[in-house]
Amino acid sequence: MTAATADISRTGFSSELFEEFLASRQEPAWITAKRRAAFQIYQELLGTELDPEEFKRVDLRIFNAARFRPSPAPSDPSAVAALLRDRTEFGGAIVHRDGHADAAVLSEQLRSQGVLFGSLADYLQSHRELLEPRFLQQAVKPDADRFAAWHAAFWTSGTLLYVPRNVEVALPLHSLIAHTRDGVADFSHTLIILEDGARATLLEETASASPDTAGLHVGCVELIVGRDACLRYVQLQNWNEKSWHFAHQAGCVASGGSLQWTAAGLGSRLAHIHQDVNLDGRSATAEVNGVTFAGNRQKISWYTQQHHRQQGTRSDLLYKQVLRDDSRVVWRGMIKVDAAAQQTDGYQRSDALMLSDDARCDSIPGLEIEADDVRCTHGATTGRVDREQIFYCMSRGISRKEAMHMIVEGFFRQVYDRIPIEIVRETLSRTVQSKLGIETVVL
Amino acid sequence: MERIIGTDELQSGQRRSVFVDDIPALVIRLGDSWHVIEDVCTHDGQPLTNGDLSDCSIACPRHAARFDLRTGKALCMPATEPIRVFRVEIRDGAVWAAP
Amino acid sequence: MSTDAPVKSDVEIGDYKYGFHDSTDYYAFKSRKGLDAEIVSQISGMKNEPQWMREFRLKSLEIFQSRPMPNWGGDMSDLKFDEIYYYMKAASEQGKSWDDVPEDIRRTYDRLGIPEAEKKYLAGVKAQYESEVVYGSLREDLARQGVIFTDTDSALQQHPELFREYFGTVIPPGDNKFAALNSAVWSGGSFIYVPKGVKIDFPLQAYFRINSQNMGQFERTLIIVDEGASVHYVEGCTAPTYSSDSLHSAVVEIIVKRGARCRYTTIQNWSNNVYNLVTKRAMAYGDSLMEWIDGNLGSRLTMKYPAIWLMEPGARGETLSIAFAGHGQHQDAGAKMVHCAPNTSSRIISKSISRGGGRSSYRGLVKVQKDAVNCRSNVVCDALILDPASRSDTYPYIEVEEQNVAIEHEASVSKIAEEQLFYLMSRGLTEAEASAMIVTGFVEPLVRELPMEYAVELNRLIELQMEGSVG
Repeated sequence: MTAATADISRTGFSSELFEEFLASRQEPAWITAKRRAAFQIYQELLGTELDPEEFKRVDLRIFNAARFRPSPAPSDPSAVAALLRDRTEFGGAIVHRDGHADAAVLSEQLRSQGVLFGSLADYLQSHRELLEPRFLQQAVKPDADRFAAWHAAFWTSGTLLYVPRNVEVALPLHSLIAHTRDGVADFSHTLIILEDGARATLLEETASASPDTAGLHVGCVELIVGRDACLRYVQLQNWNEKSWHFAHQAGCVASGGSLQWTAAGLGSRLAHIHQDVNLDGRSATAEVNGVTFAGNRQKISWYTQQHHRQQGTRSDLLYKQVLRDDSRVVWRGMIKVDAAAQQTDGYQRSDALMLSDDARCDSIPGLEIEADDVRCTHGATTGRVDREQIFYCMSRGISRKEAMHMIVEGFFRQVYDRIPIEIVRETLSRTVQSKLGIETVVL
Repeated sequence: MERIIGTDELQSGQRRSVFVDDIPALVIRLGDSWHVIEDVCTHDGQPLTNGDLSDCSIACPRHAARFDLRTGKALCMPATEPIRVFRVEIRDGAVWAAP
Repeated sequence: MSTDAPVKSDVEIGDYKYGFHDSTDYYAFKSRKGLDAEIVSQISGMKNEPQWMREFRLKSLEIFQSRPMPNWGGDMSDLKFDEIYYYMKAASEQGKSWDDVPEDIRRTYDRLGIPEAEKKYLAGVKAQYESEVVYGSLREDLARQGVIFTDTDSALQQHPELFREYFGTVIPPGDNKFAALNSAVWSGGSFIYVPKGVKIDFPLQAYFRINSQNMGQFERTLIIVDEGASVHYVEGCTAPTYSSDSLHSAVVEIIVKRGARCRYTTIQNWSNNVYNLVTKRAMAYGDSLMEWIDGNLGSRLTMKYPAIWLMEPGARGETLSIAFAGHGQHQDAGAKMVHCAPNTSSRIISKSISRGGGRSSYRGLVKVQKDAVNCRSNVVCDALILDPASRSDTYPYIEVEEQNVAIEHEASVSKIAEEQLFYLMSRGLTEAEASAMIVTGFVEPLVRELPMEYAVELNRLIELQMEGSVG
């Protein structure tokens, strides 16, 4: 029988491509050495099987890495339409095009307070001592799996936000990761470090230049929150439906710190996101809000973990998923409580609303508890739109489409209410509307 | 219709992994008949690729569900949904398939 | 187990099994260690089986050998397939002597108030259980109604067509590695056929069958409940069951036809050397009801997920599961419900308790196939961890392919509430008594469904277990 195994060229990048890539970078030896180490791990892992539990519901055979290449140079600077960027005043902004960072904009006041905001590639070199120990060392490690190793070998740039002790950044900052070239492989990295007592908000979004610009994003987000610091981070993933999104995203919260993380999964053909929060210090807290709206043939997969390592920590995760057409959403969430993490409060919940017969949602919550004085609960619901509710609305003169909109809006309401940033709430609400096929009234 | 494989590339009883409209599929030759099926077991969503062939059906290697190669019909539990089979044409010495 | 003293089973298996000598005195036949086609043929030959069963066993052996070990669940790294004797036939009158049974097991039987004859049966002391007098009349009554209740080996001989029609249809050998193993070397187990409309109003128990060894390593049970009939079958017991065999891999297949009812109650309390890896599944047809009551109290590692496939509209399934993991134990248990037709409903209630470093995991599946509209399912899994050394995990899976359904799941993990303990102790109970009462209350939904004697035994067992866990 002919063995039918996947060809490595479909699944990964070759060493020729890697050497070509290295040659295009002008980097000090220490960075190149780390890339080489990561590439070696990557090659080894490519030869092994994917973790069956993790990839059971995510069919990677349709993914062909050979179709994508890193972009050698920054591309034309014409604007890419984005959801959040023009909606409010930001304290700073940066745009990444095909993995290359434009110059960042940052208010003078923040600069004078010692806030660093801009291209990660540049800052890593200029502030090596500050950043090297926290870049791919603490939150996400290159050996986590093949995608982490791939990213660690090929990362190009990304957003760095560094806030010194006790500095409070009142205005939100903005970051846009865009694909403008068809076939681009983008390895943008987001690194946020808040020192003790700092406060900041970063709104990040992704966008494709056109519905046909197929891009590959193998990304990484590292959020390091110091003692008693407070970070609000939002990522709106809004690629077109031909793009691929693999990401390792992790937050580490020190004692007394708090992380509020909102993630929206709206675009991409296939997305597989690791989202971890690590409560590393006593009384650390994290709140995670997820909004997913999948349609057509989209497949969006979340692999989340809330890891309680110390006493008195609290985490609260709420994901709301709406599905239509032939789409598929998988949410696999784990709450892990270490033996030392007594008096943990851990919550997770996922609700799914199906708008069509062919959509499919798999919810797999999990608990691994090694401490005995904890409160952990999880729940998941899956259901369809209540026909009676639609009938009721229509009998009052509301069209079916509008009724659907109200119901879906109501379904997302619980998670919207947890997002304190008004423009994010509004933007999500509008995007959901347009995905439902309802024209938004432009005010 | 997409060209999948040359008719001289497989013997009877052999198979090959291919893609039809970007969907992972399996082309199987049995005697002079050719079958192209979606390579996913409808029970657990994993590949059928190396399953046992017999009586014009394929068995899932993990939990023994069987599917008819002509119609895709699920022949026994734990599968209840049929697998997708593609339309097949033989011309110009090759196998062509479409969803 | 009931105390923390090392159980005799921790001693070398070879030493203990034959009462300190390694001889074949106690067995009419024992296969050589390990497993191959020759041994499988030998088993079939000794049982005088028809050709089709021999071929079935041999094909199953091939499947067993070709499948990988599961990469999830418990730790099976100490399980050595080549060290196991896969078939032993007990000599009819001989057996172990009562004196060979470990001291603490004998003590537990006393404290649980188990009658003399049953104690000996449970300890495997007598191959023949002295039940003729007590249960003989019950069996005649059943026979008059057309009920078939015998061991699986005899059923193959005496009811070949009926047997062949259903055997292996719910759990084929290819289903998983351990089903394949059982299919190759199965021996013993119960076969029950209840004719149309016959409702058996008392529970049938495993030890009613007296004509062969009652607790084998690789039991195969097949129950067919014909239309409109009903039966309740009970196996196992709460008392610690000593077994020298390290691997128990049973298969239970149940067919519940239109309008019929079946309840299958298991309480297992295997000693700490046993790997208990069981595949149990029922197919429930139109308007039928299938219930699993599953109690897992013992063994070193149990992996067991009683399943119900709801095949036709109106079918209902319910699983009540309790897992109690003590020192050195891992209970990885749960339930599976697969909705294949509209208007079906399922419920899973799982209660697990871990203490003394034990680990109990809930692992379950609720699956709704496409077009299975109007299904309802409710899963509640609660876990109690009684001390900092213990562990609890929850792995629920929900796979829904139909939008017109209502599926709910909730789980919680907690320890005994301080206020509840305080309240009870302030009324004069010791901490152990108070804890026992709370734990008993925690498992009450399950215990309430057991036949009286089991309920009493289970509650007493909990008290015994709790004594070890406090202070």
